[in-house]
Amino acid sequence: MEGNRITVTGSPHVSAKRTTQSVMLNVIAALLPALACGIWIFGWRSALVAAVTIAACMLTEFLCSRYMLGRRDSLRDCTAIVTGLLLAMTLPSSIPLPMAFAGGVFAIGVGKMAFGGTGQNIFNPALVGRVFLLISFPVEMTTWPLPLSPDGLTGATLLSAMKESGVDAASIDVAQMAIGNMGGSLGEVGAIALIAGWLYLTARRIIRLVIPVAILASIALLAAVTGNSVVIELLSGGLLLGAFFMATDYVTSPMTTKGMIVYGILIGVITFVIRHYGSYPEGISFAILIMNGCTPLINKLTRPRVFGERRKR
Amino acid sequence: MAGVLTITTMIAGFLLGYVYRSTAEARDKASSDKLVGAISQVVSGFDNDPVSSKTTVTAGSSQITIYPATHDGRLIGCAAESSSDNGFSGKITIVAGFDPDGNILGYEVTSHAETPGLGAKMNDWFRGTGSRSVIGRNPSSRPLKVSKDGGEVDGITAATISSRAFLEALNIASEGAMTYFRQSTENK
Amino acid sequence: MNFFKTIYHSAVLENPTFVLLLGMCPTLGTTSSAINGMSMGLATTGVLICSNAAISGIKNLVPDKVRIPVYIVVIATFVTLLQMLLQAYAPALNDSLGIFIPLIVVNCILLGRAEAFASRHNVASSVADGIGSGLGFTVARTLLGACRELLGSGSIASLSIYPESWGALLFILAPGAFIMLGFLIAIYRYLQAKSTKKHSA
Repeated sequence: MEGNRITVTGSPHVSAKRTTQSVMLNVIAALLPALACGIWIFGWRSALVAAVTIAACMLTEFLCSRYMLGRRDSLRDCTAIVTGLLLAMTLPSSIPLPMAFAGGVFAIGVGKMAFGGTGQNIFNPALVGRVFLLISFPVEMTTWPLPLSPDGLTGATLLSAMKESGVDAASIDVAQMAIGNMGGSLGEVGAIALIAGWLYLTARRIIRLVIPVAILASIALLAAVTGNSVVIELLSGGLLLGAFFMATDYVTSPMTTKGMIVYGILIGVITFVIRHYGSYPEGISFAILIMNGCTPLINKLTRPRVFGERRKR
Repeated sequence: MAGVLTITTMIAGFLLGYVYRSTAEARDKASSDKLVGAISQVVSGFDNDPVSSKTTVTAGSSQITIYPATHDGRLIGCAAESSSDNGFSGKITIVAGFDPDGNILGYEVTSHAETPGLGAKMNDWFRGTGSRSVIGRNPSSRPLKVSKDGGEVDGITAATISSRAFLEALNIASEGAMTYFRQSTENK
Repeated sequence: MNFFKTIYHSAVLENPTFVLLLGMCPTLGTTSSAINGMSMGLATTGVLICSNAAISGIKNLVPDKVRIPVYIVVIATFVTLLQMLLQAYAPALNDSLGIFIPLIVVNCILLGRAEAFASRHNVASSVADGIGSGLGFTVARTLLGACRELLGSGSIASLSIYPESWGALLFILAPGAFIMLGFLIAIYRYLQAKSTKKHSA
């Protein structure tokens, strides 16, 4: 690189030991319990799916940054690994591997590199990959292997069962849900493992409490007001995974506390509306992507006043 | 200024009128060919002109267009055109053929706006093998339902809403066809 | 400018789809397959050549104040003629293009070329511009349609390349059109920048 040039960047200017790489390694560590839970419930194919998406993301990241952006050490910051891992966790473990690979390529290639690489993307790349797969291969993406079943039986997720065949919420065993014994994506089922990972990230001050709490609180409130079971609403689908690990992505979420609250509440509201009034059973990925798109606007509207600046009338 | 505009519009009007008249026959033929094509897809073996003897019946709250099919003056079935507004993206219109007992002889989706690759598969799906097929079933004894709703027809994978709407249109068509068959025997 | 230079200029340097970004509505709406892309492109080209020629022919007779209404009448007439002919002699094509045939009237390419080119040049050049713009539009649409068809349903011009069940539905749907168009524009601009560099060097 051209070392004798002064690098000029926009604010905030904070000097810290923390690097993108160390943040990403912490995120990976926080995701491992939930991944392990997925492997326990759905078998080793979960690990295979994760390996394929991570490989696809790293390969795409390498090729695009090397030959299009002219950067050499693009893989060192580990963001591609996190994207690949997060993407895998939103997929059913039975997804055909070429589709998982395509999802990884799309996540990095279209979701991130097309916008200029790490830090430039508007949308969370892992969710871009997931939504691409969901829209492109709806059959494979909504066929869920049954938990703890070695013979490859498939069934519906709780949310789709409740929506389409009117399964009674009272018949659902909440304790089984908490340990992840339910149909779903390979990384979204282990509620306890996800919460453990979240607490770790929060304790290490990698992420702040604001966004996940705003999302979960708004959904809980809406569920309570409309007479749905709050616990089932919170534990089902990809809500925890999305709220903890995807909505909190630095690049695509607002910078100010006020902005984070607005962002979190709106994600919760949109998720709830899609779940109960939309045609898809789960809406957290759409909700986060929609609010990703609104983030620049939220940042603009909640920009703090510079010290001494007069309030505009 | 106004003169130029008037003259332009007049020339355009004459031109359009001329082409409209000279293509009228061909256009009418093309659109009735399409309808007759669809009807002969769903009922076969008729020797009358179903389009010219079409009639409407009331089934439930909707008006169903019926195209009777006769052979040597004997009623061998009819094609019923019906629709459902409950598709994934709006209205689905179908033409379905029934024999006098109410068995489905065939169907053709004439217009829809369902998702390509998903709901749009309905034009082939319900002709498929096994419990996907609606051909030969008789909705007049028991309305058709997708297996997810406890019925006997396997809906399109991942497109339950489109499948439901399609079957709804088919059930309405059946109701219309049965009404028509009843009326035509009463009149005899 | 001679005839062929005008065609090249309108088709490549001022490509309606990739450079001017005109006519986006049919570009995104009817390019789910290569054949659809091409047939709509050819229909538009036909109207464009006729309307360019007619407008260039009457440009000195039309006062400035009413020129836009006159252009619209001319364009709408040709579009309606085209639709009646299609209904009569190519009903299948008319069905597959549906609402987008009457919408050629509001396609910005037609009014854009009428205003920017045909109202200032002679009939021959205007016809050349019509051919060029139409050709550029058609080729761009066919390319976009072919890419979407290949990724979305595993075939090009209905020739199967790989099984349809592996096709990514997204590319058949509207968002896929936006994404694919974005990438094609990027590639076009990249190639254009490269060739300008070569010429100036």
